[in-house]
Amino acid sequence: MRNEHIIDLIENSPMAAISESELTRIRAHVADCSPCEQAFAAAQVSAVLLKEGAAESFEPSPFFQTRVLATLRERQSANEWSWARMWRATGALASSMLAVVVAIAVLTFAAPSVSNESEVSLAGNGYSAEEVILNQDGSEDQVTDAQVLNSLYEADEEK
Amino acid sequence: MRRYGPRVFRVASRFFRQRSLVEEAAQEVFLKAFSELGSYEGRGSLEGWLTRIATNICLNLVRSSKRRPELTVSDLTEDQTSWLENKLAANAGEHHNAVERSLVAADLAGKVLQTLTPDDQLVLTMIDGEDASVKDVAETTGWSESKVKVQAFRARRRMREAVEKLLRPRRVNNKAAIDTVR
Repeated sequence: MRNEHIIDLIENSPMAAISESELTRIRAHVADCSPCEQAFAAAQVSAVLLKEGAAESFEPSPFFQTRVLATLRERQSANEWSWARMWRATGALASSMLAVVVAIAVLTFAAPSVSNESEVSLAGNGYSAEEVILNQDGSEDQVTDAQVLNSLYEADEEK
Repeated sequence: MRRYGPRVFRVASRFFRQRSLVEEAAQEVFLKAFSELGSYEGRGSLEGWLTRIATNICLNLVRSSKRRPELTVSDLTEDQTSWLENKLAANAGEHHNAVERSLVAADLAGKVLQTLTPDDQLVLTMIDGEDASVKDVAETTGWSESKVKVQAFRARRRMREAVEKLLRPRRVNNKAAIDTVR
């Protein structure tokens, strides 16, 4: 018995559930074993404390129900508000995305129509695109070499 | 709420020693129960369903709060010190079924329990404090019965060691006093 410590025995089950025969065995052991005696005393105090602690419990106050219902309403309205805010934010995002899409569409399809208009306006002046290009390269505005020489000689003769 | 309020308060009282904290936890339990009423399938009792919600919420609240690393003699009030001395002198639990129920002991119990993990607190309060069966704890927590047994065994050891630390200086003093008288 001296070498069979009882610590496992006192920790296997609640103190109240230890049988009388086990208690006899424990008492016999702790009479000679100081560590087990200390452990047994602490286990007994623990058991008393746990019983005392469990006996203490609080009851709901008279205003508890009112307070819970008020908090519940508060949280529900907060949830609704956040949903509404999220819905509004989603609407704003969708509108801005639509505006961007419209702007891109306008830029994509309206830009070629501007060049058509210039073509139309050129056609209205009686020139085709080919004529404009040929005219730019044409020699109408260019002075011939003979004309240059004539003008130089005329200037010398005047002197 | 009127019907199940006391039950929910009782569960919250296993974890908290202050009325304000118990009420706060109980309020969270009912708010969650209202929001999740649709998930109650009616298989078990409504009280059992509420008890499970209460236990989970309290466990989470305790887990999120800071746990005391260790309780020392200097943390005890004068009343708690003298209660321990009286218990030690009277060989404590020999008469634990007939002991007076005192606020001092309940407060001291709370202090010691606060040094343990929330799981330890729950299992000890239910099994050792309220005489609940292993099956009851398993149903409340969703743990297996073998896990409950192992948890209880380890929790008893940790609680006993915490109390032993508080008793040790008193035992030394008592022994010294006896030696002086001799």
